[in-house]
Amino acid sequence: MPNRTDKTLAETRSELLTTFTDADWQSYNHLVKWLRDSNVPARALKVGDTAPDFLLPDADGRLHSSDQLRRNGPLVLSFFRGGWCPFCTAELCALQGAKDDFENVGATLAVITPETRHFPRELKQSLGLDLMVLADVDYGVAESYGVLFRVPDETKAHYSGLGFDFGARHGSLEWKLPIPATYVIDRDGQIRSAFVEPDFTIREEPAQILTSLRQAMSMS
Amino acid sequence: MELHQVRYFLAVASTLNFTRAAEQCNVTQPALTKGVQKLEQELGGQLIYRERQLTQLTDLGKEVLPMLERTLASAEAVRRKAREFQRKEVAPLKIGLAPSISASLVLDPIAEIAKFVPGLHVELRENSAENLVNLLLEGEINAAVVGDVQDMPDRIDGWSLFEERYVALLAPTHQLANRSSIGIDDLHETILLDRDGCDVFPKIKQSFFSEKSAQLGHCSGHDLHLQHMAAAGFGVILAPEHMPCLPTLKIIPLKGDQVSREVRLLAVQGRRYSPALDAFVKVARLRDWSIDVAQRSIPQALAPQVAGASA
Repeated sequence: MPNRTDKTLAETRSELLTTFTDADWQSYNHLVKWLRDSNVPARALKVGDTAPDFLLPDADGRLHSSDQLRRNGPLVLSFFRGGWCPFCTAELCALQGAKDDFENVGATLAVITPETRHFPRELKQSLGLDLMVLADVDYGVAESYGVLFRVPDETKAHYSGLGFDFGARHGSLEWKLPIPATYVIDRDGQIRSAFVEPDFTIREEPAQILTSLRQAMSMS
Repeated sequence: MELHQVRYFLAVASTLNFTRAAEQCNVTQPALTKGVQKLEQELGGQLIYRERQLTQLTDLGKEVLPMLERTLASAEAVRRKAREFQRKEVAPLKIGLAPSISASLVLDPIAEIAKFVPGLHVELRENSAENLVNLLLEGEINAAVVGDVQDMPDRIDGWSLFEERYVALLAPTHQLANRSSIGIDDLHETILLDRDGCDVFPKIKQSFFSEKSAQLGHCSGHDLHLQHMAAAGFGVILAPEHMPCLPTLKIIPLKGDQVSREVRLLAVQGRRYSPALDAFVKVARLRDWSIDVAQRSIPQALAPQVAGASA
């Protein structure tokens, strides 16, 4: 299990930002501006929309359907960028820490990565996660939720320079990433809460997700 | 020839009564008679003797009866198939395997997708990697699992699944059976069993026999034949480590820079995936192909010994 800390994701974010190099800041500012200017977040599914169905393999190649995941209660679905991103790994550790709280209110938690092959398995092992990590092979689910974007060339150059080969990690020649997003979906497949943030350093706090879950449960 | 005409004729043939045949086909007797007459015109002769008290098949009628029965059965099978497709009751998935790729590798992925794809019907085909690529492009197979492939067309998508080494398979009584590993000098002095159309031999030849020719012994196009020959002490097989092998064979790793290969999954770029193919590609691209896991997860009734598992 990852070390539980009392830090919020906002506090962890502040710490991680202090480690940014000039090149990191330049790339970060460019990508967030590009995403806002391109209006990518406007395409994302919103509260009240019907969540698209999916069938995805987990890190061990076992299939899970959305139908099955929300059979017994609401589903918390969180899109993250990959095991290479420190903001994602911080979020995953925070979600791992809150997993029992989600389950105690009858919810199921699944996180979705664009990474394939051994990468999701290795991520789970390295962070000691027992979360359900689903692999969005060829980006179909992120696309259907409207949270997918093609990585702009400047960002691609920056990440390549850091040694991140998304082609190998995703098993695709296209370099695409999801905007980090967290959805609460009720048993009928309706989206009850949507957190979509083009600034990839900002993630929904688990406490806020729990509040959304309780609201969703009280309305159903 | 129309199917309703065939159905009318078969009804008359079974009842030998035009009135009952018309009732059975839920049409009027004149309509049934007209249909049979058209069939007779098309087949060039009378099929039924129509006498007041006696209706019976002519020699031509008797001759064409089995053929027309098969025609109707076949047409109904096609229609049933179409209905099943519409209701997604049949989900065909044709997977091509290169000769050195064991079918045991795809059993667990197939078992996994069968849980979610009702009516899954898998057909496995073995062929050379080059021929499998052509079969993919022609739509004869949906996916292929191959070893090293030269000159892949742009229209083919390929994903690396895993890398595997080569090992030696031999009888416990073979002179090399007590070695912990087998080196190139040993291989030069050893009779190797030869698989017809082997897709990995060029690489083995390049790695081990570039200066000295291999001593090739008996051959076969089937791995099991070769394994029985190896178990009988006729020679050594060099095989990929995932290949299942007879429990009577010893598995010994090769010494030094081992030959290895990348096993890849292929599908046609841009072609719409069926639910079965989509699930297969996704599971294959996430599966842990390391030998221990692959061996553990093969459905138990089918589990063979995998070459590297005891190496």
